[in-house]
Amino acid sequence: MSDAQSPLTPAMFNVLLALADGDKHGYAVLKEVAEQTPGEVQLSTGTLYGIIKRLLADGLIVEVRRHPAIENDDQRRRYYHLTDTGRGVALAEAERMEKLVARARSKQLVRALKPV
Amino acid sequence: MPKSRLPFPDRVYAALLRILPFEFRLEFGSDMEETFRMQRVETAREHGFPALLRMWWATIADIVRMAPREHASVLWQDVRYALRMMRKNPGYTAAAVMILGLGIGVNTSIFSAVNSVLLKPLPYLNGDDLVVLRQRGSRMSVNLGVSVPEINDYRQRNRSLTGLVEHHSMTFTLLGRGEAHRVRAGVVSAGFFDLFGVKPLMGRTFVPDDDRAGAPPVLVLSYEYWKTTEGGDPNIVGRVFQMNDKPHTVIGVLPSIPQYPNENDVYMPTTACPYRSNPKTIESRDGRMMSVFGRLKPGVTMDQYRSDMAMIAEGMKRDNPKFYPDEMGFQTAPSALRSDLTTRARPMLFALLGAAAFVLLIACANVANLMLARMARREQELVIRTAVGAGSGRLLRQLLTESLVMALLAAGIGMLFAAGSIRLLAQFAGQLTPRAREITIDGWVLAFAIVCASATTIVFGSVAALYSRQDVASGLKEGNRAGTEKSRRFVRSLFIAAQVAFSYVLLIGAGLMVRSLIQMNRVDVGFTPQRVLAVTFDRNWSKYNSAEQLRAYSKRLLEKVQSQPGVLLAAVSDSFPLDPEMMDNGPRRFVVEGDARPESEWPPVKSIRLASPDYFRTLGIPLLAGRAFLESDTEDTPHVAVINRALARQAWGNADPVGRRISFDEGKHWFAIIGVVGDTKEFGLIRETPFQLYGADAQSPDPNSVLVRTAGDPEAVTNLVRRAILDVDPETAIAHVETLEQARADSVAEPRTTTRMFSLFAVLAFLIALAGIGSMLALWVRQRTREIGIRMAMGAKPSNILVTVIRQGMLLVTIGLAAGYLGAVALTGFIKTFLFQVEPTDVATYATVSALLLGAALLACYLPAMRAARIDPQVALRCD
Repeated sequence: MSDAQSPLTPAMFNVLLALADGDKHGYAVLKEVAEQTPGEVQLSTGTLYGIIKRLLADGLIVEVRRHPAIENDDQRRRYYHLTDTGRGVALAEAERMEKLVARARSKQLVRALKPV
Repeated sequence: MPKSRLPFPDRVYAALLRILPFEFRLEFGSDMEETFRMQRVETAREHGFPALLRMWWATIADIVRMAPREHASVLWQDVRYALRMMRKNPGYTAAAVMILGLGIGVNTSIFSAVNSVLLKPLPYLNGDDLVVLRQRGSRMSVNLGVSVPEINDYRQRNRSLTGLVEHHSMTFTLLGRGEAHRVRAGVVSAGFFDLFGVKPLMGRTFVPDDDRAGAPPVLVLSYEYWKTTEGGDPNIVGRVFQMNDKPHTVIGVLPSIPQYPNENDVYMPTTACPYRSNPKTIESRDGRMMSVFGRLKPGVTMDQYRSDMAMIAEGMKRDNPKFYPDEMGFQTAPSALRSDLTTRARPMLFALLGAAAFVLLIACANVANLMLARMARREQELVIRTAVGAGSGRLLRQLLTESLVMALLAAGIGMLFAAGSIRLLAQFAGQLTPRAREITIDGWVLAFAIVCASATTIVFGSVAALYSRQDVASGLKEGNRAGTEKSRRFVRSLFIAAQVAFSYVLLIGAGLMVRSLIQMNRVDVGFTPQRVLAVTFDRNWSKYNSAEQLRAYSKRLLEKVQSQPGVLLAAVSDSFPLDPEMMDNGPRRFVVEGDARPESEWPPVKSIRLASPDYFRTLGIPLLAGRAFLESDTEDTPHVAVINRALARQAWGNADPVGRRISFDEGKHWFAIIGVVGDTKEFGLIRETPFQLYGADAQSPDPNSVLVRTAGDPEAVTNLVRRAILDVDPETAIAHVETLEQARADSVAEPRTTTRMFSLFAVLAFLIALAGIGSMLALWVRQRTREIGIRMAMGAKPSNILVTVIRQGMLLVTIGLAAGYLGAVALTGFIKTFLFQVEPTDVATYATVSALLLGAALLACYLPAMRAARIDPQVALRCD
């Protein structure tokens, strides 16, 4: 059994998305996921770091030593960076979803959905 | 910030994180704490207290949910790593797994017997309430059965049992189905099967009407007999068998259950048995042949049951003093059926389990040594792993996982070993208990193997792990390294000495048993068993009703057998020495003509043999005085008897007993003593010679066996003798054919098997220990190649090196031997009951075993020592 072959869960995808526009520390990721998916993806510290461990092991993210220049930044915080592989995986997942939505649209299913 | 100065909520969170694996915390712990702190502060500030509570709840639930997954992931990682390490060291892995597998296997197989025979409840309805009632003549050391009048007394007078049933086994000849064949019949009272809670597979079992006088004879077949002999015929119920001159109707078939107290082919009610239904048997208070079983009333304890039976026995003695003479020491011997069935097996199985535990201890010590030796080689790896951040807890867990994986593999091998040895074990235990056929491998046995594996993991895994921690610490500080190596060597030495000590104890145990067996084989049986064939048979009961008929039959039989080619001498008798089917009928008392002394002052005769004239010559029993039986001793001449030397000595001292007349029925019938013969071992090699009397077969005929002394191999005439017996009467069932040498060998089958099992364990343990000594010295030599090279370059001779290495090994062996000696002296008392004419402190055994152990150990030390002595200093100095 290899972690690399395990499917990308919605929570993992959201963590990758949160890192897509820049390196972030754990709490920033947690906060962004909560803001972007209100009520949909519930992340707590345990699950978040479980996901980070897996993404690190699969090489989708790496820890960066260079911290962004933020005021009052605690030097002990660890920042994570989306690797090219991670970006590729996130992109592939987004495309897969897009195709799915396109198919749903072609079947006129989407119209039946309530607007969010 | 130190943890103690953290705000309380953050300290709670930090504590919560402790349920996650150590490595996870090491990697992400402080980051998680920081993230949580920020989340907590911001939630409280922006969303208020209820949101904070919700956040706490979600956080706690989340961590509790993820912890098992993280632990499993670490364990899986460890297991994969362990398997990788094992694949990298196939030699070490195979050796360790095999040694542990053997240790666990030996224990698991013995445990399967202990479990099935001693621990499991009886396979009957409320089996723990079943009791057995025996009687004893304690002053004569004899076990007695129970007679019919006694059964009636117990049945009527007891207040502790809900039911009381009887059982005895007889063999009968079944006719009309090809060659007459012998069936073992269990004769039982009605309610026997109900008492045990056995429901028939087909038809019905016995009801009270079947057991009334004059009821038509009926049979219940055992499952095995129905399957093998009747081919599982579904229409068997209602079929009629011819037996004892009467038609017997099959009324039912039993399910496949273990049959107690012994296995029978068929069962019949007491009224169908010609012996049991005979008025003489029914009235005879001293015809004690039956076994009696009962079921305790609810709430009655074993003690209450015992005192109830003792009270009834007192009453019987009071009412019928003639049948319970004081010198007999009559008493009841009631016990729970469960313990009664396993009395003989219990000490043996526990002794073997003890021996097996020693084998496992030795295997553990050996594998721990192998592991320590390997640790020395893995030191570098462990140091590097620590340097890259693996905590000591992580390493400990990794090493324990490796041990566990290995132990589980070994448990698998152990289970295979146990499964393979089950038949042998059942055969062995079958000599001691009827429950042997229940021996199986079940969940408990599997659990036992896993417990063994886990225990060994803890033993050898912790030792290795403990020393690995020191390695790591000292590996980083070069100065400490020598100290660690020294203490590790000390522990390894301790393990070697322990292995020697344990195997010495086992070897002494085995040695004592072997000595005891030799003593048994040296016993003079009093006859010459070589080239004598004994054939036991059952004649058709119903055909020979009078002494006249029996006498004629006996005469024809003898003439026919004597005329066979290859037969030198032949005799007919009711039994023969060491006959496995011989029944001990209890002692008989006599009075002497012209001597006023009462019966009680004469020695009790424990064996009465009825034999034809050539019996003594055929068996090679020496005639010491007077004469043997002659053809002229017939039914028309006065009854004569020959006695053995033991009886002659005991009764008449140095006076000549020939010419005396004795009576067993207070003077109604007299036997004139005509001769004295040598003593023979009748009931077994280790039982004392009984006071014995021989009667003439022509005067009291009861032919049950034919004895033949042959010119050549007795087995060669087997078929001729069989044919001769069947020619005389085709309705005879041949029961048993064996040479007296076989009978002699079979009489020690039980101690022989025990000795073999014990010796096997001892040798196994010893070989493991020897391999341990050899491999430790080999490692010692390898680690000192450079040092030895230097010493040789400085002028040390190969012989000096040889002596140094051997001294290293033999010092440990000697220490182990000394410890083992103390252990053996303390423990061999436990096997005293298995020994015959050998003291548990037998000097010869201790000396032989010590010499053997020292010699073998010397050889084990010699091989690595030779390698050390052959080291080339040039090459050695270039070594690291």
